[in-house]
Amino acid sequence: MKKVGEVVLLWLLILFIHNAAGEGYSPPGKPTNISCRSPEKETFTCWWKPGSDGGLPTTYALYYRKEGSQRVFECPDYKTAGKNSCFFSKNVTFVWVNYNITVVATNSRGRAFSDPVDIDVVYIVKPNPPEEVVVNVTEDKDWPFLQVSWKPPKMADTRSGWITLFYEVRLKLENKNKWEVVSAGQRKTLQIYSLRSGGTYEVQVRCKPDHGFWSEWSPSSRVKVPEYFPQERSMWILIVVFAAFILIIFIRMVYMNFHSVKRYLLPPVPGPKIKGIDKQFLKSGKSEDIFSSLVVSDFPPTTSNYEDFLVQYLEVYVPEERELIMNEGKDLQDDSFKTENSTCDNDSGRGSCDSHTLLTDKGGGDKEDGQQSDQEGSQAEADTKSQEEALEEELLACSHENLQSSNVSNEKEKVKSWPSLFSPLPQYSFSPVNRPNPPKTGKQHCLSDSLFTPNSMPSYFTQPGPSTTKGFRSNYWECSFDHKQSHPLHPQSAAHEHLQAQNDLNTAHVDYMGAPLDVHVLNVRPSEYVEVQRVSVEDGVLLHPVSPSQEDSRTLSHQTEDYSRVRVVNNDNGLLLLQRDAIEEEKSMCPYQEDVVSRASITPTLQNSATGINIALPILDEMAASGYIDTAIMFGLPTH
Amino acid sequence: MLEKKSLPCLLRPAPVVYLVAMCRAVPVNDLLDRASQRSDKMHSLSTLLTQEMDSHFPPYGRMQMPRPADCHTSALQTPNDKEQALQVSESDLMSLARSLLQAWVDPLAVLSTSAITLPHPSKSSISSKIQELQEHSKSLADGLDILSGKMGPSAQAISFLPYTGGTDLGQDRVTILNKFNFLLSCLRRDSHKIDSFLKVLRCRAAKLQPELC
Repeated sequence: MKKVGEVVLLWLLILFIHNAAGEGYSPPGKPTNISCRSPEKETFTCWWKPGSDGGLPTTYALYYRKEGSQRVFECPDYKTAGKNSCFFSKNVTFVWVNYNITVVATNSRGRAFSDPVDIDVVYIVKPNPPEEVVVNVTEDKDWPFLQVSWKPPKMADTRSGWITLFYEVRLKLENKNKWEVVSAGQRKTLQIYSLRSGGTYEVQVRCKPDHGFWSEWSPSSRVKVPEYFPQERSMWILIVVFAAFILIIFIRMVYMNFHSVKRYLLPPVPGPKIKGIDKQFLKSGKSEDIFSSLVVSDFPPTTSNYEDFLVQYLEVYVPEERELIMNEGKDLQDDSFKTENSTCDNDSGRGSCDSHTLLTDKGGGDKEDGQQSDQEGSQAEADTKSQEEALEEELLACSHENLQSSNVSNEKEKVKSWPSLFSPLPQYSFSPVNRPNPPKTGKQHCLSDSLFTPNSMPSYFTQPGPSTTKGFRSNYWECSFDHKQSHPLHPQSAAHEHLQAQNDLNTAHVDYMGAPLDVHVLNVRPSEYVEVQRVSVEDGVLLHPVSPSQEDSRTLSHQTEDYSRVRVVNNDNGLLLLQRDAIEEEKSMCPYQEDVVSRASITPTLQNSATGINIALPILDEMAASGYIDTAIMFGLPTH
Repeated sequence: MLEKKSLPCLLRPAPVVYLVAMCRAVPVNDLLDRASQRSDKMHSLSTLLTQEMDSHFPPYGRMQMPRPADCHTSALQTPNDKEQALQVSESDLMSLARSLLQAWVDPLAVLSTSAITLPHPSKSSISSKIQELQEHSKSLADGLDILSGKMGPSAQAISFLPYTGGTDLGQDRVTILNKFNFLLSCLRRDSHKIDSFLKVLRCRAAKLQPELC
């Protein structure tokens, strides 16, 4: 029983071992990748890549045949060249002979043959790297260069010409990655120029036979190039300092002449010459807005009032010659006036130019007629001219000393000239004039000395309606009427003064009446009187020119008896006209506000108009605000 | 050793006294240098030819290198290793080079005519290279004739190696290509031999310029 068990156990064991021994063992795999190389055309080595060993110790054998012979030789040396290699020594190496090489792998299970390869030694030459690579930096301190020299590999016999080698050198900076390759031909030395000052170079050399493979690169040889370019930095410093110096000088020159340069490059663009005008606003191009800004909304009297106002307002008579002037005043352009009035002394004071012309030239036209027509015409919104005329008329009426003849045309013309007085007017006030409510219509401008109370709006009452006052900017002269419509507007003088003042751009105060024209009117024809023909019920004073009785009043003497004086000028909008004793009747009183009127010694005829007087003060205020008019008027006028 | 001998200048007139040499004789080492350069070029061309052939040649089985023992120049005894080669005299080396060169004049002509109709995609390139080879061979042969004239009578001896392959490489495509390949391989080896011999000669003649060798 035991024996049977032992036998069975033994059988099982044998069987198991047998099986175990048989598993995983196989013949070796085929060796592959046989490659051979000869370093000097005298010996050569072949390497192979072994296949799987099949789990068993496998041996490899290399067999070769030479051409023309069937004799098989085995590799003489498996050791010298390392594992899986065969070294053919000189004795067994023949050139210009084909070798047929096969590698056989053998293990206990079988053997495997590699694919045979044919080689000729002369075609598989790959030399060793060059030796004794020496790199020197030359002693030349100014422009050093590298001197590289090497020796051919020891085993390569180049001396006899058996092997002909060509060399290559490559170098790079130590911290860079790019190699620079230089071919050296068959020479064994090389010079390398253009070195980085202070840089460290790595140099390598390799060689190749005339018909063969490149060798490996020799080990790197390091060399440091001395700093041979110290002047570089100092030179750069010098250049930078010099450039900075020049730059500073240049900047300073430009700075000194900045304005002249700027003027040369960007010549100033002449802008509007009217104070108080917002150029940008005007550029916006909306006429309505412009007008509205220029003119108080209520300044131009309403149509209904306007007509009445017109009717009752001044008649200005303009002599023939003056008509010419006025004719061109159709447009509110300053140019027209300028052409007319060559005596403008002040560019900005168009009005002044015109005013003085007006004062001198324009006689009183038919106030009523002219004004009416003008005013009526001016009621047309778009009728700038008419408005101008109306305005002019009024202005003329106020300012003219010798309002002799009043005819419509003259008035118109006069009126036209007036706008020149109110050079701002054409721009602003007239534009509002263009609006439905011609501001001018309701205005009477009388200049009077007293009108120009300092720090107060000159007594401008121009507007017939209260609404118009505001809109009425320009240099309206305040008309100071003594009391009568027929009275010449002493404001003429005042007006003249005013005009002058305006001419001067708010510089002069118009001396109160009597010498309004003095300022610049002197060179102008004597101003004309404007008589107030009647005073409108509401607030208008109708003036008509009166023969100048006081032409001589243009002298500097202030007080001419013919002029009416403004006694008080209301801050807001009142102009209190004093009645001249001498010319009581002739003095025209500009309508002004009620309160003023009440206080003024105004003739009853004028009282009616008091209500309607829109004193120019507010206008002047506004005008002052707008800038053009009339600081002179506004502020500088003395009160009498 | 080779002696430096000046070439007779064709333009040099007989009376030497009055006349200055119109041309300067080229030294031998310089001639050898030029010759070795040309042989180098020849071998490079033949190597390119074999590579071009192999690139498109459909290897059936595995294209084996044809047995150069069958080359028509195998009868010429040439050194088989360096020691043997260095022991050969210059004249013999020159003679060997010239013999090999001469042996390939006819086969090159056959190759040239066969390349035109070669059933190969690169036959035009092959044909041009073969023609170039012929030119190089011709000029090298002329130069070696001049050189050998300076080296003595033994240098001028040429072994006769006839080519017996005939002008026709074969009838079918495979045969033609095989023969073509075989001839090119023989040419490659023989051109390498010529180049090697001349370069050995060059170094031997450059005693005054050892930097070249």
